[in-house]
Amino acid sequence: MSKDKIGKDEWVASYQQRSTAGSEGWRGTLARITTLLPTWAWFALIIAIGVAIPLLTSNNFAIRVAGNIALMAILAMGLNLVVGYAGLLDLGFIAFYGIGGYIYAYLSSDFTGIHLPTLVTLVIVIVIGALFGLLLGSPSLRLFGDYLAIVTLGFGQIFVQLMTSLTRVNIPGQERPVNLTGGPNGIVNLDSFSIFGFTASTVTDYYYVLLVFMVIILLVVYHLNNSRLGRAWRSLREDELAADAMGMPTRRLKLLAFALGAAIAGLSGALFASWQGAVFPGNFDIALLINVYAIIVLGGLGSLPGVILGSIVMVAIPEVLRNVELAGLLFYLLIIVTLIATLKPRWRSAALFVAVIVFGLILKPILTTISPESFTTLEATGSGFVNLVRGWLAIPIDARAVGNLAFLALVLIILLVTRLKDSRVQFIALIPTLYLLSFVWETRLSQEPSVTRLLFVGVLLIVLMIYRPNGLLGQRRVEVV
Amino acid sequence: MACSVSGAWKWSDAMSLLELQKISKHFGGLQVVSNLSFSVEPGEILSLIGPNGAGKSTVLNLITGLYQPDEGNIQFNNQSLLGREIHQITRLGIARTFQNLRLFLNMSVIENVMSAAYSRTHANLFEIILRTPSFRREEERIRQMAEEKLAFFGERLKGYRLDQPAYSLSYANRRRLEIARAMMTEPKLLLLDEPAAGMNPNESLEVTELIGQLRDEAGLTIILIEHDMTVVGGISDRVIALDHGVKIAEGTFDQVATDENVVEAYLGRREPGK
Repeated sequence: MSKDKIGKDEWVASYQQRSTAGSEGWRGTLARITTLLPTWAWFALIIAIGVAIPLLTSNNFAIRVAGNIALMAILAMGLNLVVGYAGLLDLGFIAFYGIGGYIYAYLSSDFTGIHLPTLVTLVIVIVIGALFGLLLGSPSLRLFGDYLAIVTLGFGQIFVQLMTSLTRVNIPGQERPVNLTGGPNGIVNLDSFSIFGFTASTVTDYYYVLLVFMVIILLVVYHLNNSRLGRAWRSLREDELAADAMGMPTRRLKLLAFALGAAIAGLSGALFASWQGAVFPGNFDIALLINVYAIIVLGGLGSLPGVILGSIVMVAIPEVLRNVELAGLLFYLLIIVTLIATLKPRWRSAALFVAVIVFGLILKPILTTISPESFTTLEATGSGFVNLVRGWLAIPIDARAVGNLAFLALVLIILLVTRLKDSRVQFIALIPTLYLLSFVWETRLSQEPSVTRLLFVGVLLIVLMIYRPNGLLGQRRVEVV
Repeated sequence: MACSVSGAWKWSDAMSLLELQKISKHFGGLQVVSNLSFSVEPGEILSLIGPNGAGKSTVLNLITGLYQPDEGNIQFNNQSLLGREIHQITRLGIARTFQNLRLFLNMSVIENVMSAAYSRTHANLFEIILRTPSFRREEERIRQMAEEKLAFFGERLKGYRLDQPAYSLSYANRRRLEIARAMMTEPKLLLLDEPAAGMNPNESLEVTELIGQLRDEAGLTIILIEHDMTVVGGISDRVIALDHGVKIAEGTFDQVATDENVVEAYLGRREPGK
């Protein structure tokens, strides 16, 4: 192509190249790495890694986590189609996942006495899922943005409520009330996933089933996105009126997005039910919805590699954090990296670490000489570094109570320190703050892993949204220009 | 007649392509268009002029189905447009651009144009998912078509530009892209709402030439709303002047430009004796 005649907005046009591929630092490096291989090669690489995982480890827990990643990726790809492409903020999405799960349960358990072949069940699940998508979609079409979100959120809640409470329903012709859903106890003892003579029994079997379906759905969504439908959905997201004026039937397209998203969600629900061997209303609550949204936002709305990466991060990180020592190491590493990245000039961070260590070394003897009876030591763990930190901290006898207070104080102090304008004062204030931070971690946070995991994920999301508002692999978005 | 190719219109003088019959539209107490009638002949370039708030854009919105008229009828190709949805009207062969540019900013240049081929493509869900040969042929066809439409604007929207997001384009290029997108719907009638707004004199001149080319080479009929009188004067076969939703003058550009009512609408009444 001859470039000599190109108009005078060359500079604007080359913006993205300058801002990514040509730029310094990790972003530029990342952009260069992603362009190293063509799309299909990345795709093949992901599959190859996926296939290799059970061959590399015989640890059932690790394979289970990998299976969970694949399951979440399938679900998130469905949501990505509705929210990322068509731009419909659907907060009732998990209900379709639940519907899929319950239909699988009805068609493959002694609860109803029906035992259909899995293949037939899956087809039924997909069709009914799509129908429910249409059902919810059609009244919601006239609603925009926030209103759509509220209505669909209600739908999601209604589903959970119904599944919990439909245990004694009076049906004409039946003498006694009928238990339709199993209530909070759910439906158990479901048939195993069995297709083309293959019956899944071990964790590895289910992992491969999920991986195969993930690849299929990935291909389906990828193809859809690069077609007239995908372009129409994205046009709709960008400007509904203009899309309409360019000949796209907006209402039908929205319904189609709803239906397809719901079908994918239903399918993943059925896979989940077969894997777990049971369904409970609690499996389909709002926490899962938040998790799936976190996946697609984290990965970047509308980005398929982003969905996969988001699933890996959102599923694997909480699992890794179950291990207290690993969580501790990660915690300290994160703090050190953050400080090195944000404190300028660089020598400051080194000086700060030295200052904090000295601060602790001085503080502990002082406190213990003043009142030796009120201090104790924490028991050692397996990790050398964490033990060092534990020995370095002054631990009061009633660590639990003091830790709680310290946590509150820490939050306030961090708020104050970030407000400080004078960088020298801030530097000095950071010394006791960091000490307090490690104190709070060792006395409280590491003792409450479930809370800490949520905190971790929350902080991760906040930091990411500040530094990368479009998600890890999302494209830069412009709203109004 | 309805399915004839655009070239055939030349010898069917008797029939108008578009006909507005006594159209009225009000918003609350404000009468935006009242009792407006005009027709557009095939192959014609008709300009709508008038001061701000004269109802020009409303007329375009009425034709494209964004608004329904309170009274009157709109005939296109001997079919009434009343009660039809926006995308159905586009499908019949009316395309438009917007005064305030409504591109799909976060999509690439080529995708902006290709998306407008929606009503002219047929691949269904299964063909898309399975990527059948017929789907791939269709995809290849509309990609080529989109590149042709963009090539209408010379070297500007070619090559590496095609895969860049639309928001990276300059204002003038965005206007060009919007025209290319409208042409992708394969219209018979193209409605251009201030295509030269925000352009420098050179670019306005180019737009003028381009509109002429669209008519001559692509065989389009064009309704143009424009404030730039060099563009209007340079290209229009016929000009209609509106003020407060009423047609105040109609004729060639020179006739309308010197019309007393038009001068008055733009500049105010000349006081007697001055």
